[in-house]
Amino acid sequence: MKKDIDKNLGPGTNAILESISDGVFTVDSDWRITSFNRAAETITGIRRREAVGKPCSEVFRASMCESDCALRHTVKTGRQVVNRPAFIVDSAGRRISISVSTAILKDGKGRMVGGAETFRDLSLVEELRKELTGRFEIGDLVSRSAAMRDIFDVMPQIAASEASVLICGETGTGKELLARAIHNISPRKRKPFVAVNCGALPDTLLESELFGYVKGAFTGAAKDKPGRFAMAEGGTLFLDEIGDISPALQIRLLRVLQDRRYEPLGGTGTLFADVRVVAATHCDLPAQIRKGAFREDLFYRLNVVKLDLPPLRKRREDIPLLAEHFIGRFNRLQGKAVTGASPDVMALLMAHEYPGNVRELENIVERAFVLCASGRIETGHLPPDLAGRTAAPAAPAGESMNAQTRAIEALAIRDAMERRGFNRLAAARDLGIHKSTLFRKIKALGLVFQKHAGRAARKADLNVPASRETGENPPAGHRS
Amino acid sequence: MKLALATWNGRISPLFDVARQVLMLDIEGGRVVKRHAESLPGTNSIAQANSIMALGPDALVCGAISKPLAGLLAAMRVRVIPFTAGNVEEVLAAWMARTLPNPALTMPGCCRQRGLCSGAGAGDGNRRRCHEKRRCHENRDTVNRQGNIR
Repeated sequence: MKKDIDKNLGPGTNAILESISDGVFTVDSDWRITSFNRAAETITGIRRREAVGKPCSEVFRASMCESDCALRHTVKTGRQVVNRPAFIVDSAGRRISISVSTAILKDGKGRMVGGAETFRDLSLVEELRKELTGRFEIGDLVSRSAAMRDIFDVMPQIAASEASVLICGETGTGKELLARAIHNISPRKRKPFVAVNCGALPDTLLESELFGYVKGAFTGAAKDKPGRFAMAEGGTLFLDEIGDISPALQIRLLRVLQDRRYEPLGGTGTLFADVRVVAATHCDLPAQIRKGAFREDLFYRLNVVKLDLPPLRKRREDIPLLAEHFIGRFNRLQGKAVTGASPDVMALLMAHEYPGNVRELENIVERAFVLCASGRIETGHLPPDLAGRTAAPAAPAGESMNAQTRAIEALAIRDAMERRGFNRLAAARDLGIHKSTLFRKIKALGLVFQKHAGRAARKADLNVPASRETGENPPAGHRS
Repeated sequence: MKLALATWNGRISPLFDVARQVLMLDIEGGRVVKRHAESLPGTNSIAQANSIMALGPDALVCGAISKPLAGLLAAMRVRVIPFTAGNVEEVLAAWMARTLPNPALTMPGCCRQRGLCSGAGAGDGNRRRCHEKRRCHENRDTVNRQGNIR
């Protein structure tokens, strides 16, 4: 096969082609490969001996082969193509970004004998570009964090399947947005997406809301009312806060998920439900199962595909991207010309703990828009206690000794609390101080930890405000 | 059963991700009883997979295919015989004769991926000794006399 290269290009040219890092192949007038250099072998993963003599489209397999072949264009018009972007798919199914350039091959008498195509592997450049500016976007979800990227990678496959999905994540992490995104790229996208917040309705009302009722089922049921399952027919039903439903309703829901059948309240006929269920919860369902508050069989029925949405504090790299996204959105919605956030504001936003997650960040930006019509968002546009609360841990170098000591103390306390799962006693032990000292320091430094942590979480279950337990002031920026 | 062949200029389309045409075949009793061409969007993986799913084939014979798109089709329970190359009628004949996939109708560089033999002589239709014999047999789809995949 090497002879082919020699025959077409001569030994000098051949040596040069073998030494360069760009892939080069030549074709004859039948579009069959006549030479294939070493770099072409490396980029495509195809050996020269397999490539030579085969149709170039079946070797190269580029996105442009079928509809817009660069070489065909050059042969037809006599004009070279330079650095046209495309992608190829190698034998392992990997998409490789490339740029393509073309030239016509002529013999000694100036007659055209074929064409040459040069291609450069851009996958590394592409990866670096993604690292620098890359954002992953599906529907209204934007992110650049690795944890979210894992979710985005599997979403098309999840959307294409009919399996039930369980989305877990703290409040405000975007569970409904994720459910909508799954629906919008699924084969059911032309059918309805119906969302129900199971935690917002009393149990009896939720039952009639989900399954509907027939006329006369109870006092005031003057006519038939279709339930949310019927309204979502052919589409997706999103059940938010699924951990809050009663055991009786859990049994009914299990039956629908298993048999795809249900009866409206007071009805005798059975209805068929062609609905894909996506459920979400902020609760730890396995813990609920252990407590006997959630049925194990329903959990496994829902938990066919589980997606864990990380809280914003665990993907801080998304904060500037999300802030920019919200600024752009509010500019469009409110007809304003806010150009961005000042570095000080960004530093404050980055230092905040976000117990209310993305929703809290969105609310902070929305509040800033009330006060700021154009130019940059400055610290004065932020909620006063947001700046006050985060100033201590974010104290920059150059501040007084006292401020820097406070910042270091705050960082140490945060680290210990996070390491110990927000258990204050364990964190105090780690820090070598008494728990009362820790409480006093948390209060003095104005630190706020997640709402559902440690004893606060247990009290929250009993509807006792976290602020009463910890002595912390409820954060003004916390709107979730 | 319904068979889909991604086609282009009378051959199997080189890259299914951007393929614009598919030949749909109804096969009954080992014979093709109906054939018609359908268009594909060829724009993005999700649109491509949805279009194929709407046509409802049991199997798809295509050229190169990217992993995400192959995964989508697998999730939609469409059996894919990828990296196939050659004249459409030859490929169809091979399917009917239960000899697909085979090295003569496989894209260059793909025999090793499929566990089929490769190298000089692969194009003559003879099956050569495979270094990964076990994997080779696992990966091969078999087609019964009715043209259905087993």
